[in-house]
Amino acid sequence: MFEEIMPFLPFIIPLVIIQLGLMLVSVVHVIRHDTFRVGNKVIWLLVCILGQMIGPILYFTIGKGDE
Amino acid sequence: MKQFIALTKKEFFESHATYRVYILLAVFAIFGLMGPMMALLMPVIFEMMAADMAAMGMTLEIPEPTAQDAWTQFFSTFAQMGTLALGIIFSGVMANDLNRGTLVNLLTMGLKRHTVILAKFFTATVLWTAAFLLAVGTAYMYTAFYFEMDTIAHVLLVFGAPWLFGVFMLALLIFGGTLFGNFYGALAVCFGVFFALIAVNILPAANRFNPASLAGGTLSIIMGAGEAADFIPAMFVCAGVIVLLIIVSILAFNHKKL
Amino acid sequence: MNNINTLEIKDLTKAFGGRNVVDNVSFNVPEHCVFGFIGANGAGKTTTMKMILGLLKPENGEITVCGERVRFGATKTNRLIGYLSDVPEFYSYMRPKEYLNLCGEIVGLSNAVIKRRTSELLSLVGLANANKKIGGFSRGMKQRLGVAQALLGEPKLLICDEPTSALDPIGRREVLDILQAIKGKTTVIFSTHILSDVERICDRVAVINNGKITMEKAMSELKVPHRAKAMTVEFAGEVDSDEVMRVLAENNFAPSHYEIPATSIEELFLEVAK
Repeated sequence: MFEEIMPFLPFIIPLVIIQLGLMLVSVVHVIRHDTFRVGNKVIWLLVCILGQMIGPILYFTIGKGDE
Repeated sequence: MKQFIALTKKEFFESHATYRVYILLAVFAIFGLMGPMMALLMPVIFEMMAADMAAMGMTLEIPEPTAQDAWTQFFSTFAQMGTLALGIIFSGVMANDLNRGTLVNLLTMGLKRHTVILAKFFTATVLWTAAFLLAVGTAYMYTAFYFEMDTIAHVLLVFGAPWLFGVFMLALLIFGGTLFGNFYGALAVCFGVFFALIAVNILPAANRFNPASLAGGTLSIIMGAGEAADFIPAMFVCAGVIVLLIIVSILAFNHKKL
Repeated sequence: MNNINTLEIKDLTKAFGGRNVVDNVSFNVPEHCVFGFIGANGAGKTTTMKMILGLLKPENGEITVCGERVRFGATKTNRLIGYLSDVPEFYSYMRPKEYLNLCGEIVGLSNAVIKRRTSELLSLVGLANANKKIGGFSRGMKQRLGVAQALLGEPKLLICDEPTSALDPIGRREVLDILQAIKGKTTVIFSTHILSDVERICDRVAVINNGKITMEKAMSELKVPHRAKAMTVEFAGEVDSDEVMRVLAENNFAPSHYEIPATSIEELFLEVAK
């Protein structure tokens, strides 16, 4: 199994780092803020965790409240 | 000019403070990775399918992936996911400032209205250019590393076309945002026009002049099927429409009641 | 001395949907005057102010600021004007200094001037130590930052559109104190529906009702005549009400009615919120 994954590591490592980074930053932001332009905390947590790349994009462009 | 610089600084700072620039770069880095990765994964996926089909008594020839496959994946990702992400990320560039009423203060301090449009368009274009270069650069590096890659003919046109299409999207977002003053409006105008152009693209006669053909169309040049000259009219139309959109946005903004 | 008018409005008319929201309004605001513009909600105050700022296009009439004609959309006269709206909106991710810096650059001030004015104004409005993001500001703090922003370009005319109506009593008092402090340095036009605010700081008032100016007078002309049937008296310290009545009776004043008001709610609030 590892043998098969090996050649893809140069893709997987940056992908995982970027995706996890996006997810972590957005999840932390959702937890630390209480105002949202649309939706609520639970919805945005789910969207950011499950939404892969699209979740954090949607949160920061549409969901994030004005501080 | 002083006002333009001041507002441009504000726009860049805003992109940083609202995480826009980081989201943009992250997303387009992923898009850059995805092209060559999908191409490399193809044999793996085919192998799984081949096993199923062998059970049914069929044999499937597994093709060796090439640089062309990588670029095919890259361009199709860009034409779909790329435009969608670009639209969403920049949907609030004009709209939010109007919607929240934050521009009123600055305009009453003597900020010229056309400066607002120009600074926002300029900043968005710079950010988009950086994101696009990151995506193409990533895709280029990975493709060159994993595959045999011939030199790409007409590099400037091949990659300039989807870039110009992105700028066109930004102009649409600013136009829509100015008109409606909210990001729904900006997105509706942007994707409304986008899908209308794709619909028009069905007519072969209109193809040569249609900006939508720039979104992923120049792939055909890499594949050796397309001619550079095929895209020149659409490039000119696209550039013309961008200038027009910006002018109309300025005129619309000048007459907007705040 | 007061024959120079900072603001002159002549025959100003603006219609929305066939109705004249501002109807043939004319008035002048002399230099260094604090001008109270009184009217109920929807009387036409905000519409008038937006036309002075060139944000709305009048159907008819002429506005001049310091002798210069105001044109819709063109913001030439706005360099002479500072504007404070009822609920000013700021970029929530900026700090007050960053915001005033942006404003200073837009006005075209040099960096040294921006720095000096910013620290002067922030201490004037009591935000010298507020170095957090504007997103975390209270309404009152935003309103005070709005005053600082409006004064940044050293305007000849400061337009305040209901600067106190969205505020709690403490915020209101702070904003009025700031306006009081700048009185005499710049001309102020100040709209409100709170009459006691006008009484505190204005030199001249105009009342607008259904788009028409129904009264325009200097504050001194408004002083109540000395003969009245009823009056309210307030003492600095506590007094014995029986004693007061006795003194009145001894001097041949016979009140037909008197009452001792409960501590006013505003006083109570100010006391509690200290």
